Amino acid sequence: MSTRAYAVTRAGRRAAVPASLVVLFLLPLILMPLAAVFLFAFRGGPLAFWNGLKTPEAQFALRFSLLVAFATAAVNTVLGTFTAYVLSRYRFRGQRILGIVVNLPVAIPTVVVGTSLLLLWGPIGLLGRALGPLGLQPMFAPAGVLLAHLFVTFPYMLGAVKPVMDEMEETYEEAAYTIGATTWQTFRYVILPTLKGGLFAGALLTFAHSLGEFGATVMVSGNLRLKTQTAPLYIFAQFEAGNIEAANAVAAVLALLSFFIFFVLLRYTGREGD
Amino acid sequence: MRRGGRVLPRGLIPVVFFGALLLYSAWPWLPFGRPPATPTIVFYGFSILGDAMNKGVFPEFRKQWAAQGHGDVAFRSAFAGSGTITNQIVLGAPAELALLSLESDADRLADAGVIPAGSWKRLPEGGVVNRTPFVIFVRPGNPLRIADFADLTRDGVRIVHPDPLTSGGANWAIVAEYGAGFREAGGDAAAGEALLAGVWRNVASQAASARAARTQFENGFGDALITYEQEAVYDKSRGRLKADVVLPRRTILSEHTLVVIDRNVPKRDRALVDGFVRFLWSEPAQRIFVQYGFRSVRDDLNAGHPELGAIEDPFRIADFGGWRRAKKEIVEDVWKRRVMKITAKP
Repeated sequence: MSTRAYAVTRAGRRAAVPASLVVLFLLPLILMPLAAVFLFAFRGGPLAFWNGLKTPEAQFALRFSLLVAFATAAVNTVLGTFTAYVLSRYRFRGQRILGIVVNLPVAIPTVVVGTSLLLLWGPIGLLGRALGPLGLQPMFAPAGVLLAHLFVTFPYMLGAVKPVMDEMEETYEEAAYTIGATTWQTFRYVILPTLKGGLFAGALLTFAHSLGEFGATVMVSGNLRLKTQTAPLYIFAQFEAGNIEAANAVAAVLALLSFFIFFVLLRYTGREGD
Repeated sequence: MRRGGRVLPRGLIPVVFFGALLLYSAWPWLPFGRPPATPTIVFYGFSILGDAMNKGVFPEFRKQWAAQGHGDVAFRSAFAGSGTITNQIVLGAPAELALLSLESDADRLADAGVIPAGSWKRLPEGGVVNRTPFVIFVRPGNPLRIADFADLTRDGVRIVHPDPLTSGGANWAIVAEYGAGFREAGGDAAAGEALLAGVWRNVASQAASARAARTQFENGFGDALITYEQEAVYDKSRGRLKADVVLPRRTILSEHTLVVIDRNVPKRDRALVDGFVRFLWSEPAQRIFVQYGFRSVRDDLNAGHPELGAIEDPFRIADFGGWRRAKKEIVEDVWKRRVMKITAKP
């Protein structure tokens, strides 16, 4: 996964022209829209920015999004790592198909994910119909948001961990087995330490994607203020209602958080940007 | 920026950062500093109600309820297009009360078995909480000199209109446009359809809710917007109206229907929910609605408010046989089957 392998430098050439060309087209595509969020957020001064942030709805939305992101990252770290381990270390029938299925969430539109969850867990859904009488109703509740995020972000952990596992020398594991280690001990003391970087990167990616998830969440959350409204839904609702300052304050915070997560990702997993 | 040679051990920054983030996000749910659970009302409302409920009605009810010795009460609310919240409630959203933009959405809830058919008619005023007429927003100074719905049919006028699929306001607007032509011609269905088709030929953008259409218009799209008068009155009162308002000579007064979703009301909160329902038709609540630009169901409370414009020939959905009939005959048959087909042609 090291990007350094691709870093072919052309020392002899002048970089000024192509580099400024890249910056030039990135300006309207990425840089200026991001700058606009911050300019709008701080247009009324820091006080207006703070006022936009401190409302109970904004605070709840941010906290709820963060908690869901933590939970999503935690659950998918375990499930994703286990899936990667199984796919990488065992050979079985249907393995290729399973490998495709677990990566499917990357390709499915998030709105479709939301719809499919509703049609399964919702009150008129296949399973939801049976759960309803028991008083269980995951949709339009925090559980529904978590389910949606687990679905959508599932492949990120897998994508970060499985390549590392595939490249890992199996001789170490074999050595562990020969000195009498159990499967669990081998996993815990041989595989896991090697995976640290991948686990960290996968968890961060999962966290970041969960924090910004919109398409599936909007379908399953019910958009209840102070109950199931995540930060992206809050931004959307406030923007639609014309409260651009309130929307922008939270948007700026989300953007800053993503910047920081991305920075940590680059800095601590040894994947330098250039 | 390479690793090594740092004062802080590598890896501490993310640990501290994410630890702090987790503490911040979980703070309200931690055992200390947590307020005791208060009884809660879950209220869904259509898009333009947000401020009137959140800033006006809910705080006033909280005050009254506490003053009556019942203790504190909390509100959980969601505001979106009337059709959107109706769909969410059908799919199981936990709303205890829903204030819908139009009675058809209440009918849809009844058809889906969520509430007993016509249950809202047993509430005061047949479930209607407040009203507001449909008006036209134009750019400041009215550069296109739009004076009535008929002027919206001229070539080159670009109209922002909410989407009838998800917006109750859009359904009202359709009946307003059709009804204005219908009544102008002394009750001629062909004239109603002609005006409706003329307007829809010029619809340049459809937003999911009346509020979203309004935001699009404010962001500079289109020449005219057809929406609730309440939006104009409320924004003018805050000095935030960035448009001129044209009162059509003939237009509809939208009526907003409350439904109680009994199956979502726990027994212990029954008295609270009933108390809040009664409160909505009380004088203080009705005055709040007027203060936020709606028209009260009590005419005496609307008097003395010149900001509620005078309309020559206001009509109501009852004039077209109620929403069940109007939805089928005007929205489905005329608008969807005929007007949309004509206007879809290039």
